[in-house]
Amino acid sequence: MIRKPLRPLATIIKARATGQNPDAIEKENIRKRHEEMRDTSRVRAEGRLLVLGVAFLAAFSVIGIRMAGLAGSEAAEPRASASGARILAQRADIVDRQGRILATNLETFSLYAQPHHMIDKERVAKELVSIFPDLNEQRLLKDFTGKRKFLWVRKKLSPEQKQLVHDIGDPGLLFGPREMRLYPNGKLAAHILGGAGFGREGVNAAEVIGVAGVEKTFDEALRDPANGGKALTLSIDLTVQAAIERVLYGGMKLLNAKGAASVLMDVHTGEVLSLVSLPDFDPNDRPRPLVEGDAADSPLFNRALQGVYELGSTYKIFTAAQAMELGLVNANTVIDTKGPMKVGGHRIGEFQNKNYGKLSVTDIIVKSSNRGTGRMALEIGPKRQQEFLKTLGLFEPTPIEIVEASGGQPLLPAKWTDLSAVTVSYGHGLSSTPLHLASAYASLANGGLMVKPTILKRTSPQEGPRVLSERVAAESVTMLRKVVTEGTASFGEVPGYYVAGKTGTADKPKPTGGYYDDKVINTFASVFPAHDPKYVLVVTLDEPVETSGKKPRRTAGWTAVPVAAEIIERVAPLLGLRPQVEPVELTDITLASH
Amino acid sequence: MSYLEYSVKTVPTGFSKVLHLNWALVLLLMSVSGIGFLMLYSVAGGSFNPWAAAQMKRFILGMSLMFAIAMVPIWFWRNVSGVLYFGSLVLLILVEFMGSVQMGAQRWIDLGFMRLQPSELMKITLVMFLATYYDWLPVNKTSRPLWIILPILIILVPTFLVLRQPDLGTSLLLLFGGAIVMFMAGLHWGYFAGVIAMGVGLVTAVFQSRGTTWQLLKDYQYRRIDTFLDPASDPLGAGYHITQSKIALGSGGWTGRGYMQGTQSRLNFLPEKHTDFIFTTLAEEFGFVGAFSLLSLYALIIFFCVFSAISNKDRFSALMTMGIAGTFFLFFAVNMSMVMGMAPVVGVPLPLVSYGGSAMLVILVAFGMIQSAHVHRPR
Repeated sequence: MIRKPLRPLATIIKARATGQNPDAIEKENIRKRHEEMRDTSRVRAEGRLLVLGVAFLAAFSVIGIRMAGLAGSEAAEPRASASGARILAQRADIVDRQGRILATNLETFSLYAQPHHMIDKERVAKELVSIFPDLNEQRLLKDFTGKRKFLWVRKKLSPEQKQLVHDIGDPGLLFGPREMRLYPNGKLAAHILGGAGFGREGVNAAEVIGVAGVEKTFDEALRDPANGGKALTLSIDLTVQAAIERVLYGGMKLLNAKGAASVLMDVHTGEVLSLVSLPDFDPNDRPRPLVEGDAADSPLFNRALQGVYELGSTYKIFTAAQAMELGLVNANTVIDTKGPMKVGGHRIGEFQNKNYGKLSVTDIIVKSSNRGTGRMALEIGPKRQQEFLKTLGLFEPTPIEIVEASGGQPLLPAKWTDLSAVTVSYGHGLSSTPLHLASAYASLANGGLMVKPTILKRTSPQEGPRVLSERVAAESVTMLRKVVTEGTASFGEVPGYYVAGKTGTADKPKPTGGYYDDKVINTFASVFPAHDPKYVLVVTLDEPVETSGKKPRRTAGWTAVPVAAEIIERVAPLLGLRPQVEPVELTDITLASH
Repeated sequence: MSYLEYSVKTVPTGFSKVLHLNWALVLLLMSVSGIGFLMLYSVAGGSFNPWAAAQMKRFILGMSLMFAIAMVPIWFWRNVSGVLYFGSLVLLILVEFMGSVQMGAQRWIDLGFMRLQPSELMKITLVMFLATYYDWLPVNKTSRPLWIILPILIILVPTFLVLRQPDLGTSLLLLFGGAIVMFMAGLHWGYFAGVIAMGVGLVTAVFQSRGTTWQLLKDYQYRRIDTFLDPASDPLGAGYHITQSKIALGSGGWTGRGYMQGTQSRLNFLPEKHTDFIFTTLAEEFGFVGAFSLLSLYALIIFFCVFSAISNKDRFSALMTMGIAGTFFLFFAVNMSMVMGMAPVVGVPLPLVSYGGSAMLVILVAFGMIQSAHVHRPR
C-alpha cells in the first residue's frame, strides 16, 4: 500500500520558506490519517453489525416460527408416558395340551432401599426382618449405614408383604414394578418348565428370561412381541402329569429309592404326555445349583433327560427284533442258552446263575436270558447291531425341545467288539436316558416307524423313517405282552389295558470302576394297550429296595413294574382309553395285520 | 484509538447524566423483569414466596447497581477492565478448590450473605477486557495471526475453567460472547469461516464414525445426541424435560390457558419450572401471544443496544456494547430454543425472568456498563 507521506518534502520546504512550523503540518497529517483509519474501521464495523443484525433477526424469526408451530400443535400426551409403571413386553404364557395354564405372569413389586433418604435406619432394619425372617438385621443395618445409595432388599413381593413394608412408612424404602413369572401349579411339571429369572434389572422394570427347561428353549419366542403374547402349547397333559407325579412319588418313597423318572409318550405322534423326574423343585423358587458333589443329586437334575443309565434287559427286545428283521430267527426259533458261554475271555452269566437250557426266542425275552440274547447278537454282529441301535436314536442326545436334553449324551463302548455286542444286547456297556428308551420302544409299538420325541403339541402322527417291518414290530409287542402275562413283569398286568413290556435291572457303576452289589437301576419299559399300542411308559427307579420279603429284593419286577402298573391304572382312563373287557387274542390280530 | 482524542468537554457531568441515560432500555429491562415476577408468582402457586419476593429484592439491588455504574465514566471502566478480568479469573480458579457443590456442579463461592457465581461475572469482564484489547490494538494489526493468539487465550482459559465445573451453557455463552467481540473488531472473515468449517467437519466426522471401528464418542454419548435429536425416543429419561415443556407449549395454544391456570407447570410435571424452564409456564399461561411478546421485548432490548453501539464513536464502548448485547441475545435464544426442543438442554436461564440471584445482578451490571458507555459517548 502506498501511503501519503506524513512529511511531504515539497510542502515542508515551502512552509520553511514562509516561516511556518513544519511539525504542525506533520501533526495535522497524522490527525488526518488517524481519522481516515477510524472511518474505514467504522465502515467495516458497521458492515459487521449489519451481518450480526441479520443473524439476530434470523434467530428471532426461527424462534418465533417455532413458537407459532408449537402453539398451533395439539398438546398430545406422549404415548409412553403411561407405561412408566407397566412393562410393555409381556412374556407369553405356557399352557398344556388342553390349554390349561402352566406358566403365566404376575405383576408384582420389588423392594429397594435408598439409605440416604431413610429416617430411622435401625427401626427400618428391625421391621424388615420381622416381615422377611430370612434377612439379617445386622447386615441390613450395615448396608443402610454404609456408603451405598441404593440396594435391593427383595426382588419380588407378595401384595401382603408390600402392604406391610408400606406400613413401615419410611421414605427410604421404595417399590419398583416388576413382571414376575408365576407357575400356578407349583412343583407340577417343574423339570419341563424349568424356570425364569430376572435378566437386566432397572428400578422400574426387569427383563424376565428363561433359565431352564422350555422357558429357556423358547425364550426368544416367548419374549418376542411379534408373537402377540400367543401362548406356547406343550404336549403334556396336566392331569396325567399330576397323576403320574403322585404315583411315582409314592412308589419312590415306598421302595426307598433315591430318585425316580418316568416318560409317557404317544407312540404315533412322538408327543411326550408326561415327563417326571424326582426329586423335583418349585420353579417359582428355583434352588441354587449344587456347588459341590454330584450334580445328579440336585433336584434340578432331570433324570428322564439327563440321567444316562445302563437300562439293562429292556434292550433285549431290540436284539430279538433285529434278529427277526434280518431273518436270522423267528419267534419260535429255539436257541441253546446252556452255559458256560465265553466271549472274548469273559463268561456270560444269567441272573442268579440260572441255566435255562433250550429256549425259543419268545422265551428268551420272557425269561430274560442273557446268553440267549448274546447268541443272537453274535449272529447279528457288532456292525449291524450298531447301525440298528443308531437308527433307533440311541447314539445321540434326544432331540426333544428342552434345553437339558442336550446333556443326555448316551455312553457307548469305546471299541465295539464281539464282547461289546453281547453285553449291549442285554443292556450293559451302553447307557442312555429313559427318554431314549421310550422313543425306541415307540418305534416298536407304532409298527416300526422312527419317532422323534417332542414336547410341543402335534395334531398329526409323525411319518418317520421305517426301522422295522410292521410284522416284526407286531411280533415284538406280542413277545413283550408275554413278558407281562408269563414272565418277569407279572405285576405289570392291569386288567383291561393289556400291558406289554420288558423289565431291566442294572447294577450301578461305581465312580471308581466296577459295579455296586446292592445299588441298582430298575427300569420297566411298557407299551399299552398291546392289541393296539398307543402309549409307551418308561419308569425308572434309582436304588430301589423292596423289603416286604425275607430278603431285600432289587429286581425291576418287584419295583418298577408295580409302580408302572399303578400309573397305567390311574392314567389310562384319563387318556381316554376304555378297558377291554372281552379277551383279545393277540396272535390273531398280529396275523391279521400282515 | 484512545478515548482522550475525543472532546470530553461535551460529555454531560453531574446529575445531568441521568437525563442522558438510555431510558428506553431501562423501561424494557423493567418490563421483562416484571414478566419474570408475574411468572415466579404463578409457579409458586400464587405466592410471593419463595421466589417472587426474593427476585424483586435482587432486581432493586441490581437496578441501583446499574445506575451507580452508569454514573461512572466509561473510560474508568475501560482502565480497570484488566483488573476485573483477572479478578474473576482468580475467582473461577478458587471455585475449583473451595466452591460448594450444588446439583452435581461446582459453581458457587459462598460469601456468607450471598453465593457468588464467578462464571456469571466472567461473562461481562471477558467482553470488557476483549474490547479494551481491541481498542488498544492498532486496527491494521487486528488480523495478524500473532495478535489473535492473545484474545483466543483470553476467551479459552475461562471457558475451559467453566466447562470443568461443569457448566456447558455458560461456557458456550463465554465462547460466543468473545467471538462476537472479535468479529465486531474486524477480524478477517477467513478465521471465522475456518472455525465454522472445522466445526462442521468435526460434527460430520463424529456422526460418520458411529458404528465403525474408529468411533469417536462412547455409545452413551451417541444416545444423548439421539435423545436431543428425538426426545420422544426416551420420554421418561433424558427427553423428559423437553417432552413435558413441549406439551406445555402446545397446551397453551395461541392465547394461553390464562394466568395461574397452567397445568403442566402447576402439577409439577416440569422440573426446574422456576429457573431454566420458566418460559414454558409463560407459554402455557399466555400462549403464543405472551411468548411472542416476551421475545419482542428481548428483540427491542437488542435493537436499542445495537443502535447505541452504532451511534457510539468510541471503539471500546461500541465493542463492549455489542459483546454484551450478543451474550444477552445468546442467553435467551439458547434458553428458548432449548425449551422448544431446538437445542440440547444445557442449563442456560432465561435472562431477567428465571429465578436466580447472580444472573439477575450480573445482567443489570452489564446493562450499567452499556448505560455508562451511552451516557459518556463522544459527541
